[in-house]
Amino acid sequence: MRYGFVIDLKRCYGCYSCQVACKAANNTPKGIDFASCLQGEVGTYPNALRQMLPTLCMQCAEPECLKVCPTGATKQDENGIVTVDKDLCMGCKYCMMACPYGQRHTVAEWASYFPDAEGELDAYQQYAKSKWEDKNGYGIATKCDFCIDRVKEGKQPACVEACPAKARYFGDLDDPESEISILIKRERGFQLNPEFGTEPSVYYLPAR
Amino acid sequence: MKAQPEVKAQSQETKEDVWIPTSCGGCYAQCGILCRRVNGVIVEMEGNPDTPAGSGRICAKGTAQLMTLYDPHRVNYPLKRTNPEKGVGVDPKWERISWEEAYDIIVTKLKKYLETDPRGGYFQATTVQTSEIRFAVIAFMRAFGFKNYWVSGGGLWCGNGAHFMNGIMHAAWSIIPDFNYNNYTLYFGCSKGHGAGHAALQTAQQVADARARGMRAVVFDPYLSTQAAKGQEWVPIRVGTDGALALGMINVLLNELDIYDAQYLKIKTNAPYLIQPDAHYKRDKATNKPLIWDTADGKAKPFDDKTIKDYALEGNYTVDGASCTPAFQLFKEHVKKEYPLEKVAKITTVSVSTIRRVAKEFGENARIGSTITIQGKELPLRPSAAIFFRGSQGHVNAGWTSLSIDLLNHIVGAADVPGGAMGHGSPVCHGLPETGKPDTVPYACDDGLMVVKGWVYDHKPYPLRKPAPPTRLDLQDMFPSSVYNAFTICTPDWEKYLETFKIDYRPTFMVNFGSNSVMTMGNAVDVTENFLKKFEFIFSFNIYNNEFTEAVADIVLPDACFLERYTPCVTFPSTFCHPTGVDHWVWQIRQPVVEPLYERRDFNEVMLEIAKKLGIEDKYYDAINKVIPIRYGGDMSPKYKLDPKGQYSWQEVCDRVLRDRLGDNNGLEELKKTGLVKWPNKVEELYWRWFVPVRVPIYFEYFIEAGEQLKKVAESFGMPEIADYNFYKPLAQWNPCPSHTMEGSEYDLWAFCWRPSFHTQSSTQNNPWLDEISLDDPWVYLIQINEETGKKKGLKDGQMIWVENPIGKRIKGPVRLVHGVHPEHVCIAGCHGHWARGTPIATGKGVFFDDLTECDLAHTDSLTQGSDTCAKVKIYACKEKA
Amino acid sequence: MLLKPQSKWTWLVAAYLFLAGIGGGAYIVGVVADWLGGEWAVISKIGVVLGFPCVLVGCAFLVLDLGKPENFWRAWMRPNTSWIARGTIVISVFMVVGAIHFGFWLWPFNSLAGADGARHAIGLLGALFAFGTAIYTGILLGASRPIAFWSTAMLPLLFLVSALSTGVMAVIIGAMVGGGAEGPILALGKADILLIIAEVFVVVFYLQATHRLPESRASARLVLMESVAPLFWIGVAGLGLIVPLVLEITGAFALGGTGAEVAAIVASISGVVGGLFLRQVVLAGGIHAPLKAGRFEYAVSKV
Repeated sequence: MRYGFVIDLKRCYGCYSCQVACKAANNTPKGIDFASCLQGEVGTYPNALRQMLPTLCMQCAEPECLKVCPTGATKQDENGIVTVDKDLCMGCKYCMMACPYGQRHTVAEWASYFPDAEGELDAYQQYAKSKWEDKNGYGIATKCDFCIDRVKEGKQPACVEACPAKARYFGDLDDPESEISILIKRERGFQLNPEFGTEPSVYYLPAR
Repeated sequence: MKAQPEVKAQSQETKEDVWIPTSCGGCYAQCGILCRRVNGVIVEMEGNPDTPAGSGRICAKGTAQLMTLYDPHRVNYPLKRTNPEKGVGVDPKWERISWEEAYDIIVTKLKKYLETDPRGGYFQATTVQTSEIRFAVIAFMRAFGFKNYWVSGGGLWCGNGAHFMNGIMHAAWSIIPDFNYNNYTLYFGCSKGHGAGHAALQTAQQVADARARGMRAVVFDPYLSTQAAKGQEWVPIRVGTDGALALGMINVLLNELDIYDAQYLKIKTNAPYLIQPDAHYKRDKATNKPLIWDTADGKAKPFDDKTIKDYALEGNYTVDGASCTPAFQLFKEHVKKEYPLEKVAKITTVSVSTIRRVAKEFGENARIGSTITIQGKELPLRPSAAIFFRGSQGHVNAGWTSLSIDLLNHIVGAADVPGGAMGHGSPVCHGLPETGKPDTVPYACDDGLMVVKGWVYDHKPYPLRKPAPPTRLDLQDMFPSSVYNAFTICTPDWEKYLETFKIDYRPTFMVNFGSNSVMTMGNAVDVTENFLKKFEFIFSFNIYNNEFTEAVADIVLPDACFLERYTPCVTFPSTFCHPTGVDHWVWQIRQPVVEPLYERRDFNEVMLEIAKKLGIEDKYYDAINKVIPIRYGGDMSPKYKLDPKGQYSWQEVCDRVLRDRLGDNNGLEELKKTGLVKWPNKVEELYWRWFVPVRVPIYFEYFIEAGEQLKKVAESFGMPEIADYNFYKPLAQWNPCPSHTMEGSEYDLWAFCWRPSFHTQSSTQNNPWLDEISLDDPWVYLIQINEETGKKKGLKDGQMIWVENPIGKRIKGPVRLVHGVHPEHVCIAGCHGHWARGTPIATGKGVFFDDLTECDLAHTDSLTQGSDTCAKVKIYACKEKA
Repeated sequence: MLLKPQSKWTWLVAAYLFLAGIGGGAYIVGVVADWLGGEWAVISKIGVVLGFPCVLVGCAFLVLDLGKPENFWRAWMRPNTSWIARGTIVISVFMVVGAIHFGFWLWPFNSLAGADGARHAIGLLGALFAFGTAIYTGILLGASRPIAFWSTAMLPLLFLVSALSTGVMAVIIGAMVGGGAEGPILALGKADILLIIAEVFVVVFYLQATHRLPESRASARLVLMESVAPLFWIGVAGLGLIVPLVLEITGAFALGGTGAEVAAIVASISGVVGGLFLRQVVLAGGIHAPLKAGRFEYAVSKV
């Protein structure tokens, strides 16, 4: 079983809901978004087009980040999920250079979302911070893991569940009958920047 | 205010982990959500898969509310202004007071006004939390005895034109394509399915499904908005000219292609009504009903005569010595004469060939004559639709633009039938089988035209109000179809209007619920100086101190946000935000997921308390009884009606309303478990047009009388120039905004605003998660200009520029040179550029568009009193660094 | 689309790259001098003395840059795929060998001072690892495949030439401070002229190779014309190449005596400082390839 994603750019209308849902579900600190949405425009007026590109970790079958990681903190499980062992990582940031998709993240500390507020963090941030520290940390590499904890509970990744346009799909790339495998084949799903040979597990369906 | 947080997350040990169903209040889509509370702290928000209002999805704004609930900048305690000076940017020097003291101050003041003259009160409310205002606002106004009310920018910019015209033509607030069957939709300045607001998440799924099925969208927009980018074709158009384009297309359909749904027009509109030379209906002497010409029998008959075999749509017929013509023919000739394509192309900058081609595609896709069987009923199938909303109607021609675009649908019979333009939110409800409520089936007036049974206001869109001497401070009740007025109150002429129209009282106090009229109505200083500062006392319910409270509020009350309060009716009145084209009706409530934090209180509870302290709660309860029928589809039954002599808490009111609407077993406690009640939708409700014996006008005969009456009233006060009576003609027209009449001036560009889907007007910019997105986004905080235009002006991407309007008001911001803007335009995301001390994250980000707009008579629609939201401007470099 | 450079590896990393280069380069000079013997003996000592301490200090900067420094000792654990791991091993071996080499002149090992054969052998081994130290960082950066500005064979070559050149200049400074060895200093100066000329060529070829991809072109624009340009033109071209080259040429062929000495010291300080700026320019210019989806391109912007 190799977990994968399909993101249908024809359905996506650029609302950033996945980015915020991911933040809430993974309690990422200020400055980190595991699912980040990029905006683009091409063409010359009046033949111009705009399209959002939602991104997340590609959980590559040939991950560059894993290759360059000197400590062995970066690992990949049998389903293709790439994780960082927070006890082993030394925070060299080589993985951030090597990842073609910008999907490795690090922060030095929990910077409050309300920097000018005095006193303790508010109740929600206290919760979020402690959840973040349970699973991740500061100064080390952190990344999307396809919400593997939710998946193990039988749920979908947070970004998939939130998407208002139902543009995101999650499933098993190794199963040719899975929804995502069928979509990739039928709708000519493509990967980003295949020239780097990373063999991403995230496929996009064309916008038009 | 830097609040010391008093709420702590409890110890790591999980004593509580529950999911509470409720309704989101991040915008006015009102999606059903589930909130997870762990040890008293809300830690997750997800969509509720059980409701068709969202189907389990949640958008950025909804999820981000986790930040807003615990934002330390929230107003958490009652505040009193200690700086007597008021004005834009003034420091109010808040002093924290107790609720007792706040009530004391408010009740003392209000008691004085109640005893001397209650009429000078003014209620200002947000459109985002609309379910709340239908109780506290309206009941309080009635109980106290004042009529003055508005929703500032949320209303005026939004839909003075659209909502009333959709009410006339579709019994609904808005229109969307029937995503289930539509193949071809023209979008005029609207985002349906690609934005926020009314049933936004449901329409987002529906449009994505429709697109996957092959539905095509042609989007007319000066901006390559999201919907334009997702559509098959973006047709750039000059701002504010959509109505002319629609009439040009109708000209093509009727006069070049002969494409129209004769059957629909004959039976479902007043197209066959005979019009006599004075432009009025030719009426039957006996019954006074409008006459039609039966071509089979060769004589005139009342429109609803049972013996009619066929209706003439064209020709000249002599009836009682007068030469009469069917309205259809007059309309057809009118668009040919007044909207030839060369003229339309010049007005809109859309080429003649494009107008012709799109009209043809629209007409052909309507597949006039085809049918489909749904739930065993055979219905017309018309898979073409033309829809519109804020962008196209936010101009001087608001009312007529709305009608002109919608007339495209009625010409081809694509109204509330499979595939066509549907009233939205779903307007026609037969009610729950158990209670028969809410019942919102429209009916016909004596002239056969559709009257809504259910509406969001007491003042129905049709029949128009009969102009009479005004009694309101904004003179709104003098006008036949106005919802809110701005031009009367936001200029230095307010006092002059009041004197001229002999309003014998003056503004005394204002209650505000969440609206930020300083920021969202027009030039901030004008609104503040001309209108807001005329009030002796202002108290305001807010979740943040914003530009409004800091400028003019005397007391600020800490409002419980949607996660902290009860609202009994969220998805009804259905025409406001209930999804259309879904299998089920859903009645959602809102319930507190946490008890209000700090000293926040529910607006509805507080207003009820104030009513009790003023001794007017009997009138308050009575008013609620009267608010319910038109908004929630039927009178309150005796069992649950509020007894004016009784004493009810807000929760008890909610409980009674729910049991009355949904059945004895569906009170507040029961609803709290699931957050909603669902029942199946019927085809007679969804595709209602051919099940309800009503007609709609294509010839607006009653506008004539309305205009004459308005003129008479205005003349009687000596100010006939309060409106342009040319608007009150029966045939559709396009009128320019002041910005369209300035050719050759140094103000060479049109400025307009757009709405990003991840913000709600001016209320979300302090949310740090939404702010992060906005900082990442390449466009939302900047001024977008066509790259060629920018280059010609010597501008470089990213530099600071000034944008200045013809009266010297100017705003500044960094410029972004793009290809996604019509070259004649300056495109700015609305409601940013905050400056309040109370919203430090919002302040200083984005651009404040509204200062470019003007609120006077010249910038107002004479038909609906809607506001013109575009401005002619010039741009030049600013010395400051971006 | 606004392509932005990476912002995570900056001056601390540049300091390490620079010190590793200088340490490796100086050590190689020291080893060569050791073989030459005679009046080069003092040069040899200087070179070796500069060798591992520079790299060690450089490592301190690297550890400072780490997000979780207490895990620094894990840096060698994946040499099968990671160039940081490989490099960690290489520089560790270099430092140990360098220390041993250095120890030949220290108590209690001074008895071995005469053991030329052993010392030469150690020196050869050390030089091998010094070479590795000088060149591996260029390869390491090159293994960041999406950063076209780095993933070119010219980069290790550039770092190597710069390492040798700054190593030579560091030794010159050390020798001038120490006194004596004028002959070798002059010879080093002349050798450095050739190294700098070679470096100029390598820099030109390196920049020329950036025309290949849009992201490397963006890097070249950034470095030559936009925000990094002052650092490049003044710090690298000026202080790193032109100033030392001109001074060394005039010093070697025109001036004599103290003039030549002053020229040599000024040139060397300038050149050494330029070496640090060169590393920072390379880092600051690193731009990721845009993400390509259909006709659209999106900048990777939060690295």
